[in-house]
Amino acid sequence: MTGPAARWELLRALGAVAGDPADARAACVPLGLPAPGNAEHTEVFVLNCPPYAAVYLGPDGGLGGDAADRVAGFWRAIGVAPPAEPDHLTALLSLYASLGEAAAGARAAATRGALARARRALFWEHLWPWLPAYLEAVAALADTAPALAAWAGLAWRAVLAERAGHPGGRLPLALRAAPPPLSADCAPSPLSPDCAPSPLSPDCAPRGLPHWDLAAVLTTPIRSGLILTRRRLAAGADEAGAGHRIGERRFTLRAMLEQAPAGTLRWLHGEAGRWAGRHAAAARGGAGLPGRDAVQDWWADRARRTEAALRAAAAAGPGPAPAG
Amino acid sequence: MTDELEELGRRVSAAREAAEARGETFYQGASRVHLAAFPPRERWDDWVELSSRAWPAREEKHYMLVPTTCFNCESACGLLAYVDRESGQVRKFEGNPEHPGSRGRNCAKGPATINQVTDPDRILYPLRRSGPRGGGGWERISWDEALDALAARIRAALLESRQNEIMVHIGRPGEDGFTERVLASWGVDGHNSHTNVCSSGGRTGFQFWMGIDRPSPDHANAAVIYLISAHLEAGHYFNPHAQRITQARENGAKVIVVDTRLSNTATHADYWLSPQPGSEAAINLAIANHLIQTGAYDREFVRRWWNWAEYLTACHPQVPVTFEAFEEILSGLYAEFTFEFAAAESGIPAETLAEVADVVAAAGHRFSCHSWRSAAAGNLGGWQVSRTLFLISALLGAVATPGGTFPNAWNKFVPRPIHVPPHPGVWQELSWPLEYPLAQNEMSFLLPHFLKDGRGRLDTYFIRVYNPVWTNPDGLSWMEVLREESLVGCFVALTPTWNESAYFADYVLPMGVGSERHDTHSYEQYDGQWIAFRQPVLRAARARRGEPVADTREVNPGEVWEENEFWIELSWRIDPDGSLGIRRYYESVERPGEKLTVDEYYGWMFSHSVPGLPERAAAEGMTPLEWMRRYGAFEISRGQGAVHEQEVPSAELRDVSVDPFGRVYTSAPAPADPNIVPQGAPSPDDEGRRPAGVMIDGVVRRGFPTPSGRLEFWSSTLAGWGWPEHALPGYIRSHVHPSELAADQVVLLSTFRLPTQIHTRSANAKWLDELAHTNPVWIHPRDAARFGIARTGDLVRVETEIGYFVAKAWITEGIRPGVVACSHHMGRWRLDGGPRGAGAMTATVGLRRSPGGWAMERRAPAGPYRSADPDSQRIWWSDTGVHQNLTFAVHPDPISGMHCWHQAVRVRPAGPGDKHGDIAVDTAKAHEVYQRWLARTRPAGSVSPDGTRRPRWLMRPVKPAAAAFALPAGPAPGGQARAAGADGPVR
Repeated sequence: MTGPAARWELLRALGAVAGDPADARAACVPLGLPAPGNAEHTEVFVLNCPPYAAVYLGPDGGLGGDAADRVAGFWRAIGVAPPAEPDHLTALLSLYASLGEAAAGARAAATRGALARARRALFWEHLWPWLPAYLEAVAALADTAPALAAWAGLAWRAVLAERAGHPGGRLPLALRAAPPPLSADCAPSPLSPDCAPSPLSPDCAPRGLPHWDLAAVLTTPIRSGLILTRRRLAAGADEAGAGHRIGERRFTLRAMLEQAPAGTLRWLHGEAGRWAGRHAAAARGGAGLPGRDAVQDWWADRARRTEAALRAAAAAGPGPAPAG
Repeated sequence: MTDELEELGRRVSAAREAAEARGETFYQGASRVHLAAFPPRERWDDWVELSSRAWPAREEKHYMLVPTTCFNCESACGLLAYVDRESGQVRKFEGNPEHPGSRGRNCAKGPATINQVTDPDRILYPLRRSGPRGGGGWERISWDEALDALAARIRAALLESRQNEIMVHIGRPGEDGFTERVLASWGVDGHNSHTNVCSSGGRTGFQFWMGIDRPSPDHANAAVIYLISAHLEAGHYFNPHAQRITQARENGAKVIVVDTRLSNTATHADYWLSPQPGSEAAINLAIANHLIQTGAYDREFVRRWWNWAEYLTACHPQVPVTFEAFEEILSGLYAEFTFEFAAAESGIPAETLAEVADVVAAAGHRFSCHSWRSAAAGNLGGWQVSRTLFLISALLGAVATPGGTFPNAWNKFVPRPIHVPPHPGVWQELSWPLEYPLAQNEMSFLLPHFLKDGRGRLDTYFIRVYNPVWTNPDGLSWMEVLREESLVGCFVALTPTWNESAYFADYVLPMGVGSERHDTHSYEQYDGQWIAFRQPVLRAARARRGEPVADTREVNPGEVWEENEFWIELSWRIDPDGSLGIRRYYESVERPGEKLTVDEYYGWMFSHSVPGLPERAAAEGMTPLEWMRRYGAFEISRGQGAVHEQEVPSAELRDVSVDPFGRVYTSAPAPADPNIVPQGAPSPDDEGRRPAGVMIDGVVRRGFPTPSGRLEFWSSTLAGWGWPEHALPGYIRSHVHPSELAADQVVLLSTFRLPTQIHTRSANAKWLDELAHTNPVWIHPRDAARFGIARTGDLVRVETEIGYFVAKAWITEGIRPGVVACSHHMGRWRLDGGPRGAGAMTATVGLRRSPGGWAMERRAPAGPYRSADPDSQRIWWSDTGVHQNLTFAVHPDPISGMHCWHQAVRVRPAGPGDKHGDIAVDTAKAHEVYQRWLARTRPAGSVSPDGTRRPRWLMRPVKPAAAAFALPAGPAPGGQARAAGADGPVR
């Protein structure tokens, strides 16, 4: 097995870990990783960090929708029937590896070039815009998912190695088409939780967001720049002094805002700051990137805006404002 | 890439290569098959899952996965039984990913097989009536007692030349041809089927075009899919077709659904056309006319493959026999079928029809279509719905093309079995009466009337997974004759569960469900051929453990048996010394003189008649039977393509004759073919040469199994057998056409399915019962206002020509104004004091007979009850709908023989004395209606062109010997015809 072929197999195996639990265990052995049990696999890939691009790049932060259709469109554009879940990490990395392998086996230079362009587009448009933050979120689950946190670390190194081979380019479409960030004008008013119009409308003034909508914004990564996993929400409830109501994440966060608005906003503000820092670190790329990365800068900016809006909201409400 | 990452990549590659070298699957999930994860087959011996009930403890469950085939609807989807390795019992059913038709997917009915296995009310032992027929008294007997009694009756009938007093009536078909061969081996023409209350109308239209009575649409590759029915959610081949239609839609295909009711399928359509019932053929003809007038048809295909020359010669002898002359005539034939005409008939705007026609025209060869029950089963002349639908395909040249529609026989494989008996020498007049020489299938639903008319009697009448009292129209007439021992001497129900007909049986013999019986199946679901194996999964599991089982009863619950072993044993006992010539068809080839086993039967079939299977099995170190027991399905071929275009090899062309229209006959014998799929059998020429092909532009091509060898735009059969006015695809106004309705009448659609039930067969599946258990009457808000029905849930009385039923209203815009609808499956009942079956779906009723007819009233609704299954105490519903079929008179189409289900009814608010589920029926009036429809026929005695009862080339489940086709000498109808001899094997 030569170097390039091993590279594709490595990426496919890393993707397989996010798919079928049995695949994950089979792949982890040669990867030198501890094998995750079914419970750990579920904890990460079902309950906390679903491995779908649409969750992180879609305007509603959920499965399917326009973001998934965009990925499906990519499959079709290169002449491959999209699978049932075209934006699943396993499928995307498998496709990425297959394009790499196909290029290596292509006889004509034009074919090799086309396959390389397709692979670069896949990486730039559909993997790089969300994987760094996603893998960071998985790594943060190390307490309960040590095997998969180790996987996330290895995957990050492999993805970073791929990024080094890509020239970058125009900001990916998903980020260009992203909904506007949370702004101070739209900041929530803890005193009148349900009195304002929906932020889904283009004009979100007058001031104040209902808790439900704020929760929706904050649990949608592309809008807030944050990945609030169930685990982090549980920790946040503890920190804010709110009861942790089990349910869908928006429901949980809304309950926290209703019970302990000030503490919750403080915690959220801190969380936004932490994510801004993580994105900024990714933008620097450690030792792997030649210069700053525009994609990760975009994410850092989004998290900082959320941080600012939350600071303003906290300041408007009772209790001490978070430190700027 | 760092050295560390590269090293890891090398290790993964090595691990994958090692796994694949062992024949294992390294990536089971998305990395292999696009996220559709199934247990990889190399792990089927010991598949491990965690017990959900033990959560949060991690308790491993070890299963042996054994394939079988679903026995609910006809699709024959693959199932995998999860056999607990510890207890040896089946725990659940999921999809079999190795099945080429269903590809691992199932609808709700497949997994619900487990409910049928564990049904607390199922029949576990042979029973014999112990009081008056229908009195509810039963005694348990042994299989030997039942077999000996039945064998003695049948043997006596055969010895006394009373072959026509034996009949086997089939509900859910089992293995293709199995029961037919059993009857043929007895010399009996006693096969009866449910098909004339099901799909005969649809089949007839296809058969007259192509000599094959079922379409095989290649939906997955179509650009336009045209469905006259609810194929996506509940119709024919629901699961295999739905997944391929979905596949096509993902690739941009347009879906056109013609369905008066807003079915789930209609909600997925690009165009939903909700026509006045019965106008569907007019819509088809308007589209066809558009193709003709705009020249948007495949001229070359029409020139080469239609029998236009025969048509011109027969119908336009004054014009030259040229294609140009035909086109000239064709341009005028359908000119009256303008969009405006179709709009007036259907109620759909002409602009919409024009838009749809343009979409169809743009499809070219990638136009797939299907019409099965629905309109073809609802209307007088409904068979013209499928004939006009196929006219569109034939104009587009979308026949046997990728994305087009194939004749089903090319996408189906029926393996030749070990023994094939000859055609019987008798003709069963009760099923194939002289009035219906062109009937597509047995006139089964007229049986009670024929018996009442004194046309014959039955000595021994079997029903097999069939419920004629419930399923047929006019079920109370069925009850009347089944109760009458002078008409039906011995009534035997072969059934897994109690039903409305089994209550009146003399013997109730328990038969297995999908995981408890053997059958092979093959159905047209894409352009390929496959066979699937249904098997008793516990028998296969035991065999895999090295514990062979010789009799399926050893592994089935109680003494539940399977039919194949039952028929072999019964036949063996009918002819204990071989003197009747029956026993030889049930004798072992490997061990002469001994009885054939199902292992030998299927072992022989899979070794000798399934191309490619022996080689595939050998490659894995198995016998073909072992391979099928392990994987359950085998794909024989893919991409049959245009079989009609195949050149006939010169070796098949000896002493050739060619008729004036290019039909080519040969005296060379037909090459041996292990596939005995049913299809038309065109007659030989006058010198006895067999039809081998058809001359197309100087080349002998295989063609179609029609008399002409071409697609028959004009049917010489229809023209020659008394119906020249319907020899072309055309429009017959329905018996429920608006011109036939009184001002206060509306049309009732009664045939539609719900996706989670299948006739009465699935009613012993508790999961399905919870999902769907009632059938309210769909009424449009405008009609509800007109009828004075205020709210959904209000009781309505629906009056038919022979009675009425009382049901709940569902006011919805999902139905066309002027039409009401009520699904079948529902309204199950049992007589007070009778045995319980399908308890979650069955109301207890009282039945009264008076001079005015029958009255049924509900005494107790369905509700919780104690049983071996604690879930039976959790039944939260009581409304199980109404048995509307009892109130329908028979409406036999005079050509196809199909019962025309649509009803002209009056709907009004229920009266003060009406209760939900009430039914009243006047069976004397029902008999009058039968006679009225009978008068529409043109009996063979007056129209037969050649002194026979029926065109011999037409398909027929059991085809008697040639001599039996001769018209009887005596007065007809009513007499029995007998002919001696046999002229070849049963196909």
